[in-house]
Amino acid sequence: MKIDKYPVTIGETSMVFEFVSEGIRGKISKLVIYSKTHLHNFYNLGFGNKDNNTGNIDDEVITNNGDSEKVLATVASTLYIFMEKFPDAMVFVIGSTKARTRLYRIGITNNLEEIQKDFDVFGLYNNNWHLFKKQTEYEAFLVMKKKSNFVV
Amino acid sequence: MKTKKANKKPLIIKVDKKLDKYLSKDLFKEKVEKANEVLRTVGLPKLSK
Repeated sequence: MKIDKYPVTIGETSMVFEFVSEGIRGKISKLVIYSKTHLHNFYNLGFGNKDNNTGNIDDEVITNNGDSEKVLATVASTLYIFMEKFPDAMVFVIGSTKARTRLYRIGITNNLEEIQKDFDVFGLYNNNWHLFKKQTEYEAFLVMKKKSNFVV
Repeated sequence: MKTKKANKKPLIIKVDKKLDKYLSKDLFKEKVEKANEVLRTVGLPKLSK
C-alpha cells in the first residue's frame, strides 16, 4: 500500500490487531479480527471501533475521523501479517452495510495494482465469485495469497 | 525485494496476548454467519488445476 498506515499492536495469534485512528474527532481505537468459520482456512475479517470503557466493538458506527483511507490501508496491511502465519488462508470481507461494502470496494479499487501483486481478490456477484474488476458492484470480497490459477 | 514487502506491513508496536481474548467473544457474529452461508451456497472460487 502506498498510503500511510497506522502502527499496530497484535495478538499472539496474529488474528487480532489494534490501532489508533487519529483525526478530526480525536483518537479512536480500532480492532481488526480474523474469525474462524465452518471451513478450515476460511476466515472472516471484521473491524470496528473499540469502546475503551466496555471493550465492545461497534462495526456500524460512522466515525468520520477524516482518515478513512489510512484506516482502510492499515486494515488491509494486517493481511500481510495474518497471511504470514496462515499462508493458505482465504479471507472473507463484507461491510456491515451496503454503503460500507461499497467503501471497501473503492478502497480495493484505489489500490488494486498494488494489492494484486501479492493477493488474488474476488468479488461476490450473482451468487458466484469473480476476479475483482473495477467499476463492478460486489456483495462481498475474498482475498487470498496470489496463486494465479483460478478460472473464474 | 524484502524491504519492499516490509513496507507493505504496518509497523508493529508490540505483541499483546490480551488482544486474543476477543477471539472467544463471538464478535462480528452476523458477518461470520454470512461467510458460512456464502460457503454453503456459493462455495469457493474454482481452481484450474
